[in-house]
Amino acid sequence: MINALKNLINKLLKNLFSKKKDVKLGLYGPPNGGKTTLANRICKDWLGEDMGEVSNIAHETREIQIKEQISIKSKGREIDFNLVDTPGIATKIDYEEFVKAGMKEKEAKQRAKEATKGIIDAIKWLDEMDAVIIVLDATKDPYTQVNITIVGNLQARNIPVLIVANKADLKKADIKKVQAAYPQYNVIGISAKYGNNVDKFYEALFDIAG
Amino acid sequence: MPHQCVRCNTFYEDGAKEILYGCSCGGKLFFFIKKEKLDQLKKLSEESALTKKEKEQIESDIFDLVGSDIDRDQPVILDIEAIRVMRPGKYEVDLVHLFKNEPLIFKLEDGKYMIDLVQSFDRFRKK
Repeated sequence: MINALKNLINKLLKNLFSKKKDVKLGLYGPPNGGKTTLANRICKDWLGEDMGEVSNIAHETREIQIKEQISIKSKGREIDFNLVDTPGIATKIDYEEFVKAGMKEKEAKQRAKEATKGIIDAIKWLDEMDAVIIVLDATKDPYTQVNITIVGNLQARNIPVLIVANKADLKKADIKKVQAAYPQYNVIGISAKYGNNVDKFYEALFDIAG
Repeated sequence: MPHQCVRCNTFYEDGAKEILYGCSCGGKLFFFIKKEKLDQLKKLSEESALTKKEKEQIESDIFDLVGSDIDRDQPVILDIEAIRVMRPGKYEVDLVHLFKNEPLIFKLEDGKYMIDLVQSFDRFRKK
C-alpha cells in the first residue's frame, strides 16, 4: 500500500517536472508558403543558426531537413522537439515554370524531378510526425486541393495541427480568410520573415506539441 | 493482361518471356495495360509525340524517383497511378493516392505505369 502510494507520488512528480522529449514537429504546406523561412526563424530564435536556404522560386526545399533538439520556452513552460522541414506539396510540377524564373532547361528538369521525389518523401514522413504546423501563404486562396488534402489527412490520422497564415506583413495577406477556411483549427497570422507575432505562434505550439 | 515496353513501345501478351527476361531492345520496364484500354493505347502509342530520347529520359527519371534500391537489370511491371510523367520535367501528382499509403505507382502516359516495389515491400514487411 505504502509502495503503491510512493509510486503514485513519484509518477506525479515526474510528470510535473519532466519535459516532453523527442517530439517530431513537421512543417508542411504548399511550395513557397514560407516553411523554411519559419524553420529558420525558429532555429535562429532558439539555436542562433539557420536551417536551410530560401528562394523565391518554388520547390527550393526538395529534401527532408531535420534539426534536432530544439528547446523552446514560453510562459514558464518548455518543450524539446526535432523540427522537420519538408518539401512543398503540389499536384503539378512543371520545369517550364522554373525556366520562366530564369533557370536553364536541364537544371529546371532536374529541379522538377527532385521536387516530385520531395513530395513523395514528405508524405511518407507524415506517419512519423507527432504534431504538424501547416504553413500557408496568407496572400493566396486557402481553399486549394493541396491545402484541403493535407488538412483532411492530418485530421484522419489524429495528428495535432497548428495552421500558420504566413506573410502577414504583406498588404494582400488575409488572415481572416484562412481562419474562415479552417475554423476547426487554431490559425495564427505571422510574418516568419520579420518575426511579427511569433510569440503567439510559440505559445500556440505548446497547445499542439507540449 | 498485355504489357508494353517503356523504351520501344512493343506490346507483349501476358506470360511472354520478354516480360521475365527483358525486351529485345534491352528495356526492363513494362507498363501493365488493362485489356479494355489496349486498342486505345495502341493508337495513342502510334501518335505519341514523345521522342525516343524523351522516353529514355522519362525511364531514367522514374528510376531516380523510385530510389536507388531497385535493380535496374530486373524487369519492373507497373500498375495504378499516383504520379504521372507527362514529359521529362513535367509531373502530375495524385495527392489522394499518395496520402492513402497505397503502393507508389507512376503513370507515364495513358495506360503506362511504374510501381515502387521497394516501398510496397517495406509496407508489407511492417505489417
